[in-house]
Amino acid sequence: MRAISRRGFLELAGVGATTAVIGPLHASAASKSLTVLHESSFIPPFDEYIKTTLAEAYEKETGVKVVYEVTAVGSLPTRISTIAETDTGADITMNGLLQVIQFGEKYLDVTDLCKEIGDKNGGWYDAGREAVLVDGEWKAVPFCNIGQLMNWRTDWFAEVGVKTFPQTWEELYEVGKKLKANDHPFGFELGHGFGDNHGWLYPLLWSYGGAEVASDGKTVVIDSNETARAVDFARKFFRDTMFEDVLGWTDVSNNKAWMAEQISCTNNAESILWFAKKNFPEIAKVTDQAQNPAGPRGRFHLLDSISHSIFNFSPVKEEAVAFMRWLMDPKQLGGWYAVADSYYQPLLHGYDNAPMWQVEPRNIPYRDAMTTAHLPGWPAPASRQMAESVAKYIVVDMFAKACAGASTKDVIKNAELQLKEIYRAV
Amino acid sequence: MVTGYGPVERLVRLWLPVGFFLVLALFPFYWMAITSLKPNSELYNRHVMPLVLHHPTLKHYIDLLTQTSFLTWTWNTMLVAVVSTAISLVLGVMLAYPLARMRFAGAGLIAMTVAAIYLVPQPLLFIPLADVINRLGLGNTLTAVILTYPTMLVPFCAWLLLGYFKTVPMELEEAARIDGASRLQTMRRIFLPLCTPGFISAGIFAFTLSQNEFLYALIFLTKSSVRTVPVGVIAELIRGDVFYWGQLMAGALLGSIPVALIYSFFVEHYVAGLTSGSVKG
Repeated sequence: MRAISRRGFLELAGVGATTAVIGPLHASAASKSLTVLHESSFIPPFDEYIKTTLAEAYEKETGVKVVYEVTAVGSLPTRISTIAETDTGADITMNGLLQVIQFGEKYLDVTDLCKEIGDKNGGWYDAGREAVLVDGEWKAVPFCNIGQLMNWRTDWFAEVGVKTFPQTWEELYEVGKKLKANDHPFGFELGHGFGDNHGWLYPLLWSYGGAEVASDGKTVVIDSNETARAVDFARKFFRDTMFEDVLGWTDVSNNKAWMAEQISCTNNAESILWFAKKNFPEIAKVTDQAQNPAGPRGRFHLLDSISHSIFNFSPVKEEAVAFMRWLMDPKQLGGWYAVADSYYQPLLHGYDNAPMWQVEPRNIPYRDAMTTAHLPGWPAPASRQMAESVAKYIVVDMFAKACAGASTKDVIKNAELQLKEIYRAV
Repeated sequence: MVTGYGPVERLVRLWLPVGFFLVLALFPFYWMAITSLKPNSELYNRHVMPLVLHHPTLKHYIDLLTQTSFLTWTWNTMLVAVVSTAISLVLGVMLAYPLARMRFAGAGLIAMTVAAIYLVPQPLLFIPLADVINRLGLGNTLTAVILTYPTMLVPFCAWLLLGYFKTVPMELEEAARIDGASRLQTMRRIFLPLCTPGFISAGIFAFTLSQNEFLYALIFLTKSSVRTVPVGVIAELIRGDVFYWGQLMAGALLGSIPVALIYSFFVEHYVAGLTSGSVKG
């Protein structure tokens, strides 16, 4: 038996006594138990459904207990960092935008599992692959996209003679000018939120032919005539259709402005319509959604995917893979998607005509947008550099500074300098 | 003191500044209260005066108390704050007393180190601490935060008490020692009772810090049943890009009541503790 020092004994006794007084020790991980970490869902029944219905059904079927842990919005990267650094805490985690590439080295290669799931469910959207591929390996099972699309007030658009959403940015600009004159301005986020800014500015950049980096993932190509045209458009779009507050907006601002009937058009996820239907039914009646307008080079959307990864240090890797296989089966997955209406858009073609899309037909543009959805650094593959660029708001600030009055040349040069610094080591 | 002035001067020199600071101090509570009592239709209506309550409702309070585990979070928060404050005060006294009263080599350096430790930012510590907590099997128990909060509270309490202890005249203890009391008896019967204001101010600060702590609670407590108020309300009432403002404000207001009560009960001792040592006489 290993000798124990007096100090060691005192430490152990201290911890033991404190624990005994204050509360029971956490039960050590049972051999048939796995923990799934998730960010709290925008749709409360979504979390409840897996916690109760799915977890209980799985335990009944296999004897494996599934613990579904919910973490606060915005805290997921902190939680994953802690788990990845300490090699304990959860077996499966949800990933948000670009987290697969950030933590990929700690994730299990699930290429075979994804192929199997894809084959059974009509195949994956390209966007699904784009979201989880790290050095040719699938490091997560794609779950869904949370699309960022146009939300517009049908009644106010009708006042200026517009019955269907404009097809191009220039057409939208012309409508916006009239609506601003009618005291119904647009409100597109230009501040440092987490999604509604990237949600329209990257697609705008792409639709004019611009990009921050080339498809080789190394060459910075932000300084181009195409980028300049996108920036010039954003400046006039801001000046003639919006109001100054949007420069300081975060993601919550446009939702609030919508419910306050302050704006007539914005770029957002389905949350505006969902919340309005529950709390402001009159506003919900005149709210509609549409794909982003097209630019000279086409129509684009931001890929804001959610996926699930298995930690490669998990002591229950095999059980985790089996659970993911079970979860992604239409019998389970269909119900989970359905409970959230279509806030989470499946990345599997097998769900293209699922009944969930008929519950609220105004959400169908979110399904159709997935064929033109890309990660922020597209056409480059996902990389840590891409994540750094997003975290530093380089493209967002390029547009925002131009809207605030800086010259097109200066804002592009500034963005280029920062991007070259980030991509220097590649 | 303001004496010998007329009513106008008194108004300008006393009541206006007092009124200004009173409004400044109470406005956040007023804002929380009216926001928590407004229905959503009024909360989002930009055409009504936001500082006035037109159609009060208790819906947000009812939703907070019935649809979330707010009462459990409050109980957890109080338990964690009380126990970690008690641990920190005891350990803080044990650290501060020798530094204030005993002459030994390196005492000054240790006193400086105590202050320096308090300044170490939490983001540097949470990953190593998470490792320790996981190894001890304490994840998702209140014990995890009760044991980790003293890592920041003990240096803080010791640092605050050190200053207070130095203001207590040494002669009192020397007299007790001459009368035959041991050092422990002197400390327990003479010294510590004199330091009550110091304990109260250190205790209130420690209680408030542990009640508001976010990062460790976020990392170590992931189950709803063991969450504290700061993590619970953010996890459950901020969903995507929608903030449930009414419930958030109701939670913030209810969460601030215990501290407000404690402050109001002990305010005289608290002020005495804070200002001790500021004037040598």
